[in-house]
Amino acid sequence: MAVSGSGSSRADNGYGSQQQQPPSRRRKGPGALATAYLVIYNVVMTAGWLVIAVGLVRAYLAKGSYHNLYYSIEKPLKFFQTGALLEVGLFTNCKYLPGIVPSSVVLTAFQVMSRVFLTWAVTHSVKEVQTEDSVLLFVVAWTVTEIIRYSFYTFSLLNHLPYLIKWARYTLFIVLYPMGVSGELLTIYAALPFVRQSGLYSISLPNKYNFSFDYYTFLILVMISYIPIFPQLYFHMLHQRRKVLSHTEEHKKSE
Amino acid sequence: FVSYQVEILDWKTKEQLCFLDKVEPNATIREIRLMFHKLYPQWYPARQSIKLDPKGKSLRDAEILQHLPVGTTATLYFKDLGPQIGWTTVFLIEYTGPLFIYFLFYFRMPFVYGLDERFTSSPHPVVNLACICHSFHYIKRLIETVFVHRFSHGTMPLRNIVKNCLYYWGFAAWLAYYINHPLYTPPSYGKKQINFAVIMFLLCEAGNFSIHVALSDLQRNGSKTRKIPYPTKNPFTWLFFFVSCPNYTYEVGTWISFTIMTQCVPVGLFTFLCFIQMTIWAKDKHCTYLREFKDYPSVRMPIIPFLL
Repeated sequence: MAVSGSGSSRADNGYGSQQQQPPSRRRKGPGALATAYLVIYNVVMTAGWLVIAVGLVRAYLAKGSYHNLYYSIEKPLKFFQTGALLEVGLFTNCKYLPGIVPSSVVLTAFQVMSRVFLTWAVTHSVKEVQTEDSVLLFVVAWTVTEIIRYSFYTFSLLNHLPYLIKWARYTLFIVLYPMGVSGELLTIYAALPFVRQSGLYSISLPNKYNFSFDYYTFLILVMISYIPIFPQLYFHMLHQRRKVLSHTEEHKKSE
Repeated sequence: FVSYQVEILDWKTKEQLCFLDKVEPNATIREIRLMFHKLYPQWYPARQSIKLDPKGKSLRDAEILQHLPVGTTATLYFKDLGPQIGWTTVFLIEYTGPLFIYFLFYFRMPFVYGLDERFTSSPHPVVNLACICHSFHYIKRLIETVFVHRFSHGTMPLRNIVKNCLYYWGFAAWLAYYINHPLYTPPSYGKKQINFAVIMFLLCEAGNFSIHVALSDLQRNGSKTRKIPYPTKNPFTWLFFFVSCPNYTYEVGTWISFTIMTQCVPVGLFTFLCFIQMTIWAKDKHCTYLREFKDYPSVRMPIIPFLL
């Protein structure tokens, strides 16, 4: 009579022929080529955000004030923030990050979408807000967050994660998240009157598509949506922080 | 004759919830659920998930104790699935909503388009036609739910119904708003476009109904075993030659025809989302068929002949 299934459910997922790999290795980590691609991706992204950070500092020093710094980093910001869309594709297709508490694909996708929205549909589209200080607020928050996050992934993939980076990733968000959110909300709010005035991205009845869309109202709804969503993301990160920073030893062992 | 002992533990806390002594080896999981229900009246069988592994899949009612990979003292895990609601009830609620919500807009209730337009009617015949088609579609669905469908699972979690209703009712309101709007613009190609759409609509509805009847006939004897559906004498069922889930194919066709009929972007968007959802369901079903039947026809695709 069979004893409670140690082999029954997991043994043969149709991979019966591959007897070389011990079962414990099958779920962990990507192959060597995939790791190489991922490391390159994360290094490039880290470098990109460093470029933005350096650009901001240089512009500040040159101008002597922190106003209107958006123009000096506009292009790299658009490029690298939009590049993060690749990540969503990567996450969905291969849960590849070893030794990291897996964060939800949905949350990541959501965050990337909202950032891309801010970058293109608000800051790029409504030129009048590009001189707002709130733009600097979220750009700085994003820059610091992303530099830490991508270097975190890079080091994790190479299995040499300095505790400082891990600590930074799971601690600095406590300040950076609210900072970024404030910058984003203030920017959207600043854009409202210009959207209303110009009828940007809006279509009204009658028309042959029988469709109407009011971008102004849409932006207000987006702002309201921050109320339920932001706390969830924030507490999710706090929860991750507790898990990750108190289980440092266990993570090193789980390779 | 060995009698079994069954202990049931909470899947998360692993505390022992009950210990059943002298259980027959040929007892089914259904019977175990009933016994568990007696001890915990608040957990009726439909909301009990009984599994072999705390993170595993729920065991089906029909499973027999001695055929499971357990020793004579079996350890099972229990998870509360939350309040459950029967599928028939779910469908009735989900489909009655859009039916009546559409009427609110068709008859132009005062709060919808403002007091000036209240209870007026549209000068465009296509708007009346759209209302008839939309209502026909949902009435047909309601009739099928009551008389035709045979559900394999008894229930679904209660909180799903809130989510589903928001989606179906919300979309019904959104598309009804535009179709019945005083500023509605009829289709660009006029009568030709509308007539084409109506014919396509009727064909797809007939097709969808034929498939539902055919699927229901497969389970006529109340047997729980699945069978491969095959085309019958009804020409609408001939789509089974090419596709595993022709009911979904026809359903998407219905909504495409409705989009053409009304030439309305929200309808188009709803159609697109329906298509995505049904493709996911069709692929699942198709994979299940492939797994269960070695002789499954290889020509068949999940939802679109030869393509998807």
